[in-house]
Amino acid sequence: MRLAFILGEIGGGLRRNVSMVVSVILVTFVSLTFVGTAGMLQMQINQMKGYWYDKVQVAVFLCVDTSTSPSCASGPATDEQKKNIETLLDSAAVKPYVTSWAYESQADALKHFKEQFANSPIVDSVSADQLPASFRVNMVNPEKYQIINETFSATPGVETVIDQRQLLEKLFSVMNIASLVAVGIAGLMIICAILLIATTIRLSAFSRRRETGIMRLVGASKAVIQLPFVLEGVIAAVIGAVLASGTVWAVAKFFIQDYLADQYKDTAFISANQVLILTPGLLVLGILLAGISSLLTLRKYLKV
Amino acid sequence: MIRFDNVTKIYDQKTRPALDSISLEIDRGEFVFLVGASGSGKSTFLRLVLKEDHATGGIVYVAGQNVANISSWRVPKLRRGIGVVFQDFRLLPNKTVFANVAFAMQVIGKSRGIIRETVPEVLKTVGLEGKENRRPHELSGGEQQRVAIARAVVNKPGILLADEPTGNLDPTTSLGIMKVLDKINRNGTTVVMATHDDDIVNEMRKRVIELRNGVVLRDEAKALYTSMMPIIPAADSGSGRSAGAHK
Ligand SMILES: Nc1ncnc2c1ncn2[C@@H]1O[C@H](COP(=O)(O)OP(=O)(O)OP(=O)(O)O)[C@@H](O)[C@H]1O
Ligand SMILES: [Mg+2]
Repeated sequence: MRLAFILGEIGGGLRRNVSMVVSVILVTFVSLTFVGTAGMLQMQINQMKGYWYDKVQVAVFLCVDTSTSPSCASGPATDEQKKNIETLLDSAAVKPYVTSWAYESQADALKHFKEQFANSPIVDSVSADQLPASFRVNMVNPEKYQIINETFSATPGVETVIDQRQLLEKLFSVMNIASLVAVGIAGLMIICAILLIATTIRLSAFSRRRETGIMRLVGASKAVIQLPFVLEGVIAAVIGAVLASGTVWAVAKFFIQDYLADQYKDTAFISANQVLILTPGLLVLGILLAGISSLLTLRKYLKV
Repeated sequence: MIRFDNVTKIYDQKTRPALDSISLEIDRGEFVFLVGASGSGKSTFLRLVLKEDHATGGIVYVAGQNVANISSWRVPKLRRGIGVVFQDFRLLPNKTVFANVAFAMQVIGKSRGIIRETVPEVLKTVGLEGKENRRPHELSGGEQQRVAIARAVVNKPGILLADEPTGNLDPTTSLGIMKVLDKINRNGTTVVMATHDDDIVNEMRKRVIELRNGVVLRDEAKALYTSMMPIIPAADSGSGRSAGAHK
């Protein structure tokens, strides 16, 4: 009976304030979509880290004709210089940090280059002697990149040492900034949502002050008096959270999984189903948002 | 049923207390009129019984319980034992008579079956049979007040507080309301009624507690609106209102 009564009150309240309820739904929807987007970016970053960190290497590029670095003063790397580098890689100072290394000749480099840019006209204008040969070093701990850098960057015949991880880090930091921006916008929107929910409940409580006054007098419990108001806000917020989850899922499915993953086949992308684990979080956040702001409002406007 | 022990209520430090160290006791089943000029503290008295406000000093007991010790989540339980009626009826305009009374049962979780059984009974007690489906604006003032009384007693409270329930009604209608309150009192409910209506008080011959400026001026059984006590100072013969003022 009491449940039926409370449900009836909620229904009445939602009907009475349709426009406010719709605005609560929209503002929670938008704010939680930003939260979800930030979450999705973080998941993508983790996914790429996991995928790439095993594969990244430190590349020691050798001098070619056009090299300008001081260690290339004597022209393209000689066989003797290459031998020297190989010895260094196997020396006691370096070996403990290296799991394996491989030599990539200029011909190999051209082959890889052609694979990578198969669809691009640039391929035809590149020849093997323009691409540097390199030693590809797999590190035990990729963080120890400095060891290789110090050892080889001044070695004759070496043009430069590049840590591929650093290239990735740049990408990740761009993605991190994007997710911070999303979180920032989400934060602002959440403040809007909280204020809007508070206002909605205040109006709702005001328009029903007769009923609540009588309820108090005949001894209705605090829960029966306040629950309809709280649940009104929570229901609106949950609808917003469901819409936000749907939107985030749709982005993951149609943009990331169907489009990006198809375009960039050699990169690891998150799948739409992975993104679904964000849904409970968004729902809980929506409920907390509405619950907390309504309880704070009611404490002031619906004393028992 | 209700006991005030040196109860003081001060709303505002700058003004005199609304109630000033009042002590009195109202027994189960009594019918008591609370009279006194406007601002004498009648409504304040009722508010303290309901725990709508807390006493500044002293102790208020309701049904043997010190209301100051009732935690906020148990206040609803206290209020279920007390029915309240006001001068302005306070009905819900878009609900029918039946729904207005049923509302008081719904919000404390009574089952539909019990509501369907009890509400018509109570409406009969207050003399509103056949008007279940009217809305408040289709009723006279007296009938509206009967609905309010029905709502106040439908949960069978031990105490009924009425704050000037006949204040908006003409004398004949008021008398009808008093018959209803008397009937409810005979069924065992303690009734405390604040009023300015001297005709009614004189007609009913019940206990009268007169307040003035927050103190009890007199407290007499089977009394009239104005005191019947012999007046001691010869100079002040008429009203006797100042007779007990200095004790
Ligand atoms: N909420 C309040 N805040 C401040 N002062 C109040 C409040 N309620 C009542 N008072 C003061 O307390 C005193 C007693 O008021 P109360 O309402 O109890 O009088 P009353 O006997 O019911 O009067 P009336 O017959 O006009 O209803 C008055 O002086 C009034 O101004
Ligand atoms: Mg009053």
